[in-house]
Amino acid sequence: MRVLALHPEKCTGCLRCELACSYMQTGEFKPAKSVIRVSPFEGHTSYSPYTCTQCAEGWCMTACPVGAITINAAGAKDVVDDRCVGCKLCTIACPYGTMFYDPDTRKAFKCDLCGGAPACADACPTAAITYEDTATTDWIGDFARERTARLLVVG
Amino acid sequence: MPTAASSRQKRPAVAPVALPGGYAGKLLRINLTTGKVWSEPWSPEDMREMIGGVGLGAMILYREVPARVGWDHPDNRLVLATGPLAGLPVWGTGGLTVVTRGAGTNGPTSTQANGFFGANLKYSGYDAIVVQGIAKKWVYLYINDDVVELRDAAKLVGKDTWETQDQLSREYGLAGHHLSVYSIGPAGEHLVRFAAIQGDYGHVASKNGCGAVMGKKRLKAVAIVRGTHGLRAADPRGLIQVADDIGHDLKTDPTARSLYEYGTLSGVVNLHKIGMLPIRNYTTNVAAIDLTQWEAPRLREGFDHRGHQCSACGMHHCHMQIIRSGPHKGAIVDEPEYEGWSGAGWTIGATDPQSVSWLNTELDRVGVDVNEFGWLCGWAMECVEKGYITRAQLGFDLRWGDVEGARKLLDLIVSRRGFGDVLAEGVKRAAEKLGPPAQDCAVYTLKGATPRGHDHRARWHEMLDTITSGTSTLETGNPVHPTEVGVTARVDPFDGVAVAKVVAGLRGRLAFEDSLGACIFTTRTRLENMCRALSAATGWHFTVDEAVRFGRRTGAILRACSLRCGITPDKEYPSRRYASTPVDGPAKGQSVMDQWEKMLDTWYAEVGFDRKTGKPLPETCRALGAEWLAKDLWGRSR
Repeated sequence: MRVLALHPEKCTGCLRCELACSYMQTGEFKPAKSVIRVSPFEGHTSYSPYTCTQCAEGWCMTACPVGAITINAAGAKDVVDDRCVGCKLCTIACPYGTMFYDPDTRKAFKCDLCGGAPACADACPTAAITYEDTATTDWIGDFARERTARLLVVG
Repeated sequence: MPTAASSRQKRPAVAPVALPGGYAGKLLRINLTTGKVWSEPWSPEDMREMIGGVGLGAMILYREVPARVGWDHPDNRLVLATGPLAGLPVWGTGGLTVVTRGAGTNGPTSTQANGFFGANLKYSGYDAIVVQGIAKKWVYLYINDDVVELRDAAKLVGKDTWETQDQLSREYGLAGHHLSVYSIGPAGEHLVRFAAIQGDYGHVASKNGCGAVMGKKRLKAVAIVRGTHGLRAADPRGLIQVADDIGHDLKTDPTARSLYEYGTLSGVVNLHKIGMLPIRNYTTNVAAIDLTQWEAPRLREGFDHRGHQCSACGMHHCHMQIIRSGPHKGAIVDEPEYEGWSGAGWTIGATDPQSVSWLNTELDRVGVDVNEFGWLCGWAMECVEKGYITRAQLGFDLRWGDVEGARKLLDLIVSRRGFGDVLAEGVKRAAEKLGPPAQDCAVYTLKGATPRGHDHRARWHEMLDTITSGTSTLETGNPVHPTEVGVTARVDPFDGVAVAKVVAGLRGRLAFEDSLGACIFTTRTRLENMCRALSAATGWHFTVDEAVRFGRRTGAILRACSLRCGITPDKEYPSRRYASTPVDGPAKGQSVMDQWEKMLDTWYAEVGFDRKTGKPLPETCRALGAEWLAKDLWGRSR
């Protein structure tokens, strides 16, 4: 299956992925509604994007009491708006913090891989996000550990 | 980037509204004297006429800051404006333009910085902030969507600009670009005439003492939480397409490619080759060391470094770096721009990249303009060498290339202690105070400003531009695709008339770019592309002709403001040293002053300003669509 591979060492924190994602979600450039989010590390000097890894366990699907989370054609876990009742159980179940709740629509939302053509990967100017056929993994754990340790050395 | 239409849309498309796309639609007004905060809508007609950034700022300055209102008057306006492209996916669009009556020349200022200010402000629902009045005690402005408050800044006073951002980020629990903070350091607090406004760790609006204006108003910082509002584009697919086209251009065009790879790092070696690297306060143009370690790839790899880009930017330009060796080993600094390498380095005779890089960030943190500091410190070093300034006056030694000494000088200036109080007034005033022969060594314009970080004796177009500008610094800037607007691509750089025609012919483009909320380095594509981006964002049909006319109109308005401030054509001259003839290097023997009057005559004739009074001629104003300006300047009879 093709997944979003994240290469944090290439990220410069420009947040263009958030703009592209929010445009796909809302039709506007509105990073508050992006489901890919860039976090800083090592003070303000390192950045990494993070989004749903489409994990095999599918914690969100398991937790959903109304079966509103299904797998779409691209292989992504996806929220069916018509079924979602906005109970937020999925946001609690997800151990990665990549399930979101929209108070405007009262529904959960998450990365659906843009149905097979992820906008974030196309928007990233440094190829820190690529869409490739590879096993999904914890993309930023080592990076986060290293950059956090480094900050302690510098500080 | 695929478009929303290529995938299933989850929510209904946003209904069309009268507001042009790209705009938040409101100006945020702050009166520090009364503590009143209010928002003010602006009309689609005004948006098209002023666009944003310097276009908007110039009009506010013209309408609201009359002759009697000096830079330190409560009624002076501090306009912190962004533009219609800010917060959209066009590269490098976090832009901030500061427009005010500055402390350096006591005349108009337009100075740019990037980072995330513009993007965060737009997502909060505002296109610009207009500050007036003077607060009774130190405050900072906090913006979080509709929560806009003046908050007590007592605990921030005395902190440098990086510490200010650190503290506010900690306090609000916001990391990275979720909080954009632009602030003044101790220099602005003490009204140093060349104090700057710095933000987002390394982005500086530095010209003409805008930081002193903020200091006078007792406004320590502006902190903007990344807002939750969305920005609509009239033609989002077209906008994404043109953003990608511009990105492609920047990556592949020979004139932009080096900027794409290394930002302005290539400047040192390249400018040295043509005599444009200012060394030791214009006393030489020949580097005394091997420049191999100053080549762009080596400068970058000489440090542990990380990309630190502005909003939506794909350039490999801004970086953070860690000092690798020397007394400041381990310090996190902002990779200097070319002007940092020159102002904190070559101009003062310092040639060790590690210490220059450290000093550059110290200047940003304290909050001064790196160029003016370079001219001031270089001048002081030369004066010490020649005995015009003594060790007793300074309290320490200050020799060429002494970075630690330069840091002590910075302390002296910022605290305005002893001789520092003279230097804090900037190069021109300090030089005049000392008089000849010290004065003869100082680099400045008679308007009271100083040049950018180049040796303009080998770049006459920038000298002419700096000195005739309505903003005290570059108004035309570097030629970018000059043939697109009918200007020849190459002229003899020492043919004054040809140079003056180029400066006049390219007028307008830079003011247009500085009104969009974009960066000077990501707009190095054809003007047509920037117009396409503006059209796609707003829904207007904006042409290259309209862009140039708009930019020149903005220039004419700033010129009118400048004249009103008493900055008249008799001040359009460089200081003795600034006007001197290079004694060595590639431009040796080229004397700009031999051709200066001819250059001014040509420039005035080409731009359509009156040579005697300096005023834009009535027919010039009319051709620029500013009949009202002709009436204001010349009366109804003309």
